[in-house]
Amino acid sequence: MSAASPAADRRGDAIHLERIVKRFDGAQALSGASLRVRRGTVHGLVGQNGAGKSTLIKLLAGLHQPDEGRIEIDGQTYDRLTPHRVEELGIHFIHQDRLLVPTFTVGEALFLGREPRIAGTPFLDRRLMQRRAGEILDDYFGVRLPNSALISELSTAEKQIVQITRALLDQPKVLVFDEPTAALVRREADILFRLIRRLRAEGVTIIYISHYLNEIEELCDHVTVLRNGEDVATLPLSETSATAIARLMVARDIADMFPKRSVALGKDILTLDHLSSRGKYQDVSFTLRRGEALGLTGLLGSGAKELIRTLFGLETATSGQIEIDGKPVRSVSPAQSVDRHVALVPEDRRGNGVALDLSVTENITLSSLKRFTRLGFLDFGGERREADDLIRRLEVKTAGRDALVRTLSGGNQQKVAIGKWLSRHSEVYLLDEPTVGVDIGSKVEIYTLIGDLAARGAGIIVLSSDLPELIGITDRIIVLFRGHVVREFVSSETSPDEVLATSTGSSETLRHVG
Amino acid sequence: MTLQTSPIEASGLPRAIIGAIVNNALVVALIAVFAVFSFATPTFLTIANLQSILVNNFTLLAIVAIAMTFAVSVGGIDLSVGTAVDFASFAFVSLVLAGQPVAIAALAGLGAGAAVGAFNAILISGIGISPFLGTLGTLFIGRSIQQLLTNGGNPVYLPPSGVPEAFRFLGRGAIAGIPVPLVIAAIIIVAATVILTRARFGRVALAIGIQPSVVRYSGITARAHVAVAFILVGLIAAVAGLILSATVTVYIPSSGNAFLLNAIGATFIGTTLSRLGRPNVAGTVLGVLLLSIVANGLLLTGLNFYWQQVGTGLLIFAVLALSFINRRKATA
Amino acid sequence: MSVDIQLAPVIHFEPGKIGDDTTRSGNLAAAALRAGSLIAFVAILLVFSATAPYFLSVGNIGNVLGQSAISGVLAIGLTVVLIAGGSNVVTGGIDLSLAANMGLSAAVYATVAQLGYGDATAVAAALLTGGLVGVVNAFAVVGAGIVPLLATLAVMNIVAGLELVLTQNTVIPASTPLLTALSSSGPLGIPALAYVLLAFTLIAAAIVQYTPTGLRLYAVGEFPDAARAAGLPVRRLLAGAFVASGLCGGFAGILSVSNLSGSTTGSGEMLLPVVVTALLGSVFSRRLVPTIIGTLLSTLFVGFLVNGFQLLNISSVLVSGVQGLLILLVVSATTLLRRQEA
Repeated sequence: MSAASPAADRRGDAIHLERIVKRFDGAQALSGASLRVRRGTVHGLVGQNGAGKSTLIKLLAGLHQPDEGRIEIDGQTYDRLTPHRVEELGIHFIHQDRLLVPTFTVGEALFLGREPRIAGTPFLDRRLMQRRAGEILDDYFGVRLPNSALISELSTAEKQIVQITRALLDQPKVLVFDEPTAALVRREADILFRLIRRLRAEGVTIIYISHYLNEIEELCDHVTVLRNGEDVATLPLSETSATAIARLMVARDIADMFPKRSVALGKDILTLDHLSSRGKYQDVSFTLRRGEALGLTGLLGSGAKELIRTLFGLETATSGQIEIDGKPVRSVSPAQSVDRHVALVPEDRRGNGVALDLSVTENITLSSLKRFTRLGFLDFGGERREADDLIRRLEVKTAGRDALVRTLSGGNQQKVAIGKWLSRHSEVYLLDEPTVGVDIGSKVEIYTLIGDLAARGAGIIVLSSDLPELIGITDRIIVLFRGHVVREFVSSETSPDEVLATSTGSSETLRHVG
Repeated sequence: MTLQTSPIEASGLPRAIIGAIVNNALVVALIAVFAVFSFATPTFLTIANLQSILVNNFTLLAIVAIAMTFAVSVGGIDLSVGTAVDFASFAFVSLVLAGQPVAIAALAGLGAGAAVGAFNAILISGIGISPFLGTLGTLFIGRSIQQLLTNGGNPVYLPPSGVPEAFRFLGRGAIAGIPVPLVIAAIIIVAATVILTRARFGRVALAIGIQPSVVRYSGITARAHVAVAFILVGLIAAVAGLILSATVTVYIPSSGNAFLLNAIGATFIGTTLSRLGRPNVAGTVLGVLLLSIVANGLLLTGLNFYWQQVGTGLLIFAVLALSFINRRKATA
Repeated sequence: MSVDIQLAPVIHFEPGKIGDDTTRSGNLAAAALRAGSLIAFVAILLVFSATAPYFLSVGNIGNVLGQSAISGVLAIGLTVVLIAGGSNVVTGGIDLSLAANMGLSAAVYATVAQLGYGDATAVAAALLTGGLVGVVNAFAVVGAGIVPLLATLAVMNIVAGLELVLTQNTVIPASTPLLTALSSSGPLGIPALAYVLLAFTLIAAAIVQYTPTGLRLYAVGEFPDAARAAGLPVRRLLAGAFVASGLCGGFAGILSVSNLSGSTTGSGEMLLPVVVTALLGSVFSRRLVPTIIGTLLSTLFVGFLVNGFQLLNISSVLVSGVQGLLILLVVSATTLLRRQEA
């Protein structure tokens, strides 16, 4: 529950979300979270993945309705918000998905939906559009973009500027920034910060969502910390610091969630030697041994994701060496990686991890069809036995082996995704955010499974932003920041907020990196 | 084949009946059309007529539609099936005309069809062009090639005296009273069903058509399978080409394209048979049957010949509309 | 979901990927493609003008324009659907019923004219017919949610059948003042149809490229989520696109009656060439998207090709093949370019 602010002046609130409860498919995304944003301030919103940040914002945006709780905007309570209504009320969102049409010019993208016309005719006043666009861009950003520039030709930062400008055209009262600096360099971020400070001076209310705690420190007046679907603190920045915020983000009361493991480590199974991919990560070296669970973590842009993709053959490195079981590997496709017994459980489970409209059996055997093929034809009986075996071992809750995976819960879908590789007898497992969207019961089962895999001699790499989880299930953790390995921890000797501080770059020693 | 369970909530018998009809639109349409024509005209429900439907309307379209089904099951489409039919037909007739043994000519015909498929495979799997555009290009190029080969579109006739026995047998012969083309079609139906449902290739193809990204992430080289699928399309269509020219003892340029639209229609109507909307041979066959019966029935009822096409179109439309509306409600 | 067919326009962008920085080299390549196409166009004209007598004469150019009028109008109608539909099959992207629509509208016009009603009625009837076909398409795609490829395919069947019913597969002769005017020559000895094509193109381009509605059509086709976020009525716009293309079919029907002094059979033949033409048109636009002018250029390109072959006494059987090769070349080039970028 949030600390009560002194002399709460309700009329000074631009936004007040009160005790919001929201459930999705039986899992609670928000359990009584509150957010109060004072008018004319920059208010930070932080929390780990799964803490409920994006759900809260989507509720504010009118994309979902709360199950319980109240939404108050500018002193007025609203019952059924829609995106249209929210925009009318002067609240604009700067999302990570740039909702700009790639083949439009800057002017066209800015004015889509409210196009100015040449007086008295039905025709677009292109000249006016260009002029207005130029004026605002120059005024607020000091940026000049060529009139004929297409959105697709702009850099990420420039696209974001266009997005923001589009919102500014409406003279918004509230601007919500969602992870705005994830893909920006320092100079571009500075432009953004200048803009935000200026908007605040002009009376605009800003909600700033970010993982980069040093930015929160630098920019915000207040910050609200979400954890497990609740707000655990709302503080003025003058009374806190990045490290304190980090601690608030990750403290967890759940003990014993992680089955104890002690596995004897075997031979080296995966070795990275000065692996680099230009623009993504540089000079990454480490060795994974059989039986070992290695954690990998880093923010968006840290290179961790790209590293995983390279290990599975979805991308190629520009220099350096990968060795599996002592033999060098140059995979240019997942098929080659799978041949070398590497497995990937991708982050986008529904898009890449499981085929929703195929049955449990069909999913489980998808990578190991060769084992069930005789003379080109499938051995249905063998498939059934394999599916039954894995359903039992993994405790997959399903109506049957022929049920479509679409009908399974997230956790069980994930088990099927992992089961596929068990059927393939893989030896190196790459798990990308393995328990996102998974209920607590299944999480524990998956952790146990990971332990089992290690015990059987597989090498496992877990990429996760859930730090308590990472610490609980891995032997060591490698942290990446803006493409470099900055630190390695022994899991049992560190704490979630220490890892978080390192990965968000807020540790003192990292100020100069990037 | 079982009736599907209805995503539309049935409360009460009338609702249940409507639900059943909507969910099994294809079968219901088939039964309805069959019944209507049986009542409408006495000549419909005769053995001679039913046989005629099978031989004249059904056989060739079924083969071409099955070829199309392979393309659709990997998530694509093949606008050049007619081209494969024609190329096969051309090679077949030309070689027989030139005195080659029928068997060799037939092999050449199959090869020609497979070559068209291989060309598509290169475009689609090799370069990565979308199937619609790639096969569209093949269709157009194929047209020109045929015009060039025939000096501007002249048919290639086999004189009555120059028709070898094997050739005649293929087109007009019978095995145990069943016309040879129908026997061949039956074999293809069975083979295609087996491949798509029981062979590993079929499983992978199906997965590619449903969620290609997962297939790739599972370590399967989807491209190779797509390539094979399109070569098969050409090969199967070639069989239709052989039968066609054997039946009419002539090759007419670009005549194969007449099958295209109905093959597409039949294949997609066929997907409504599957509860999940997956392309399937049985559905395609029923779709072809539906189209054939409609064509035949309208002819017999003395209805203006031209209403056939309208009728066919309306039927396809109705089946599709019911199925798509239904599916939307189910996933809403 | 069941089978999802990728239509894919000739040039395709991936909208909205986080952190996508299209490289400058990619844009260079796109510019090269566009420049290359224009150069090819001009080169062909030069080659023909050098080898064929009277190729670039005013009379011949007018000829080409006139002969391209009908397919031009159809291609432009298809372009509107391509724009509003985009590469996403679910929201639109193709209208296979256009050629049949033209045939039916032509038959309606000829029939009404033959029955003694005046030009005004006949024109209204033809346009109404075309518009109705468009409405049916719109309902099928937006209302019933049928994938456009299949919806317009089914409608095509129905419409083609209706045309046959009306015409009994024969020619319906017609002769009215309007038709006479259309099939005559205008100023400079250029066929009236040429002027009609130019005027039609100008009006269409004005609407599609220079009005807010046109801009919104592009948004709907390329990035429906962005369009929705901007508050645009996506479904209504898409439906409108189909109705518009239907009207174009109706208009083309009227023109075709004038061309042949009656409604004739065989309109279905025009379908795929028009599809290829419209798809290739995007190569002529700076942003590599379908445009009205681009489609006109593409239509004229084919027109000049056919005309040049005729003048040089080369058999026109090659035209189809050239079109096929062109589309494959253009699509291959863009696909390979995109792969390199990735």
